[in-house]
Amino acid sequence: MINVIFLILSLFALMGAIGMIMFSNTMHSALSFIVTVMALAGLYALLNASFLFMVQIIIYAGAIITLMLFIIMFLNIREEHAPKEPNKYINMLVVAIVLTPIDYLLFEAFLRMPHIGDFTTKIKNFGDIKMLGDKLFRGWLLPFETISILLLVALIGSIVLARKRERK
Amino acid sequence: MIEASFMSYISLSILLFSIGIIGLISRKNIFIIYMSIELMLNAINLMLVTLSKYFSSMDGQIIAMMVMAIAASEAAVFLSLIVAMFRLKHSLNIDDYNALKQKGTL
Repeated sequence: MINVIFLILSLFALMGAIGMIMFSNTMHSALSFIVTVMALAGLYALLNASFLFMVQIIIYAGAIITLMLFIIMFLNIREEHAPKEPNKYINMLVVAIVLTPIDYLLFEAFLRMPHIGDFTTKIKNFGDIKMLGDKLFRGWLLPFETISILLLVALIGSIVLARKRERK
Repeated sequence: MIEASFMSYISLSILLFSIGIIGLISRKNIFIIYMSIELMLNAINLMLVTLSKYFSSMDGQIIAMMVMAIAASEAAVFLSLIVAMFRLKHSLNIDDYNALKQKGTL
């Protein structure tokens, strides 16, 4: 049963990703990326990461992609704004051929990893919000605070960058 | 021998990362390039969560959450840069975004 769900979700993720880099219309690409993000959220749920499942849907599908769709509509992007890419498929083929040995190397490296045990967790409630928060505020407090400062800097920086400048 | 279900998650993550690299290199639309970067971050997140389950440790999921926070801040800065550049050039082609090139004038 789990295998069937995994197959369907991974198929959706791959189709969404391939569609995202193939479509020439920017809007279609962004909508195709949502499929990938939602399928990955389902995969997190399969991997016992219930909190990350929610975070993925809220942050990625709810905030990042929606912000991007908003920007695409806000800029009123039409066909003539999109760049002409006549040899896009040849470029993709060349990059895919170059990447194949690197992917094979990565696959082999993971195949030779030390064997820990079967792929099931013994810990009860693994991945729920209580366990994650416990670990986050005990072992990862300094990175957490640094991330909050980074978010504040990004907020101020994006306002400064997107502001209209008055011409002198 | 490593279990097959673990390797299938890893393979999916590697494939998604490769698709991200393909989109990053071969496309010229700035939005597609941005989404390819997000796709690569997502693939790394999937790998982190898989390894977190494999080693029965929460550290991978916490790093994945940090990556999401960094992706959110990156989204804000990147999209505001796109807005600023689009106002200037009225184009989405990255070949037009050469204001930092040493050329004299904009």
